[in-house]
Amino acid sequence: MSRQRLHELGIDLPFLPTTSVGSLPKPANLVRARAEFARGKINRRDLEEAERQATEFWVRRQDELGVDVLVDGEMYRGDMVAYFAEHLSGFEPGGLVRSYGNRYYHKPIIVAQAKWTQPITVDWWRFAQGLTRKPVKGMLTGPYTLTDWSFNEFYATRRDACLALAAEVHKEAEALVSAGCKIIQIDEPAVSVRPEELPLSIEAMNIATRGLGAYFVTHICYGDFASIYPRMLDLAVDNFDLEMSNSGLDMLRLFSTSAFRKDLSCGVVDVHSHVVEDAALVERRLRKTLEVVPIGSVWVDPDCGLKTRTVEEAEAKLTRVVSAAQAVRGR
Amino acid sequence: MELLAANHSSYPRIGASASEQALRRTIAQRDRGEKTDTDVRAAEDELALLALQDQERAGADVVTDGLVRWGDPISHLTAKLEGTRIDGLHRYFDTNFYYRRPVVDRKVRRLRPLVVEDIQWAARRSTRPVKAVLTGPFTLAHLSLYEGEVTGLEPLTRSYAEALSAEVAALAAAGVRVIQIDEPALLRHMAQLPLAQECLNLLAASKANSELALALYFGDVSAGYARFQELPVDSLILDFTYSPGLPRLIEAEGSSKSLGFGLLDGRNTRLEDKSAVTRQLERMLARVSTRRNYLTTSCGIEYLPRDRAQAKLRHLTAIKESLLGARS
Repeated sequence: MSRQRLHELGIDLPFLPTTSVGSLPKPANLVRARAEFARGKINRRDLEEAERQATEFWVRRQDELGVDVLVDGEMYRGDMVAYFAEHLSGFEPGGLVRSYGNRYYHKPIIVAQAKWTQPITVDWWRFAQGLTRKPVKGMLTGPYTLTDWSFNEFYATRRDACLALAAEVHKEAEALVSAGCKIIQIDEPAVSVRPEELPLSIEAMNIATRGLGAYFVTHICYGDFASIYPRMLDLAVDNFDLEMSNSGLDMLRLFSTSAFRKDLSCGVVDVHSHVVEDAALVERRLRKTLEVVPIGSVWVDPDCGLKTRTVEEAEAKLTRVVSAAQAVRGR
Repeated sequence: MELLAANHSSYPRIGASASEQALRRTIAQRDRGEKTDTDVRAAEDELALLALQDQERAGADVVTDGLVRWGDPISHLTAKLEGTRIDGLHRYFDTNFYYRRPVVDRKVRRLRPLVVEDIQWAARRSTRPVKAVLTGPFTLAHLSLYEGEVTGLEPLTRSYAEALSAEVAALAAAGVRVIQIDEPALLRHMAQLPLAQECLNLLAASKANSELALALYFGDVSAGYARFQELPVDSLILDFTYSPGLPRLIEAEGSSKSLGFGLLDGRNTRLEDKSAVTRQLERMLARVSTRRNYLTTSCGIEYLPRDRAQAKLRHLTAIKESLLGARS
């Protein structure tokens, strides 16, 4: 584990640190406020107040549940790509497209050169960190995913778009570090999508994280990991946050063919099911992982963001995450 | 020679207006116990009708029901088959769309129609021929897990093929003019082409007078182009966006099969240069010996927002008109 690196950054975590992937469900009052804002019934300041209240609710709740490394819950975001597209110049909002089943998202369109003009997430990170003594992760979407999940009407090639976006993501990461953020997660769920483009996503991550004094995590999910493992370990991050339970811990087979040589945030609860897994099952998933990955390298969290669950389901699933880590630590 | 503007397969299930979001709303209400399956069915009907009208307005000569009732291209079909259960979410090829993976534990059996009733419903409401779309057995098998009595990928693929063959027969009996089999997985597993061919033989035997089309996308078609010409299908619907060498190949080798030219990117909003596409198409058409061919998108257009999908379809028909105008 990069415990040394964390220690140097002034962060000392217990074994099997618990965290969550990023998004958490929006409480009812925020859902209502967003709908009222969309209908023009409240102004942006009112909406931001509701977002602040919801952020505070989740930071305190994670603290109470015993989570070790917190997130702000992304109460101010609709979607992980659209949010950054709204705050970088060069993007145009796109219409809704389907993600799965009955879920849809706004897919932005790159229509001009992408430009970072001012900090995007820093104020939210600062607000959340001010509510707790525990570390709060800075949460960014990576350049490869921003490229892959946007339409491109400007850049000649995907490579041009991705590398241009990497330079802009770097500026936001730099702003977080300057604000005092020590752990930054750069989500790249699209990385496994086109194995032939893995070198491009590695090059882009290098640009995004280069020269910055932080512990970097990347979240990758729902893909064909066999096609990118172990090459994906060359991404310039300390920790890979992976969806493990949805695929029945299939990835452990890969890790036994070639050692997992970075830290692993191990997803131990499924985020697309209303069912709150039995505590014993969650603990079993963690123990199976520890047969393959050294305990000093493992973090524990849900498979992916919990935003599609209800508040109660998300709390219950986070409770399972924490209790599994505590049960294993205790023995 | 006839060139038809055809919708490839899917069409957006959602748009910006309240009526275009009715299905999403109704499903969410059904899931909360506030609406019934009948309400969802009615919302699907409304949306399918909108999709048909949109395609007709855009000038499409061949339309689909937009596949608006499909949760995804895999579980929509497999959930109706005996012998399967539906499992977790998985990414659909290299898209940002997710399907629910089927788990198959015995030989699958078709106990009820899969899409034929929906196609008949759409055909009664459209002035244009309605194409039926089925995800092919090869792709269904590759995106399924098997266990229990199913001993491998090959028996699973054959089992799916038998079930789909009954559906093809039902579609043919219903008078469906074009039955499109989508096999995106084939481009990633070309070594198993003989297995896919064996399954297509089975489907072809059930098609009667219908035109059997094979749609290949999300991969480069060029390497297998000559072998695809040998498959037991009437037409090949090809994705040109992954296949930069394909136009030259077709110009050089021609085609004895009817072709669906998927020249417009179904996954990007940028509208292609009209005159460049027209010229390219003209050169290829000169080498195709069949009477009827299609201009289409590279894949289904559900991957685009509704307004952009409409624009893409209008662009498609404008290119067709421009080509026909140049010829007349």
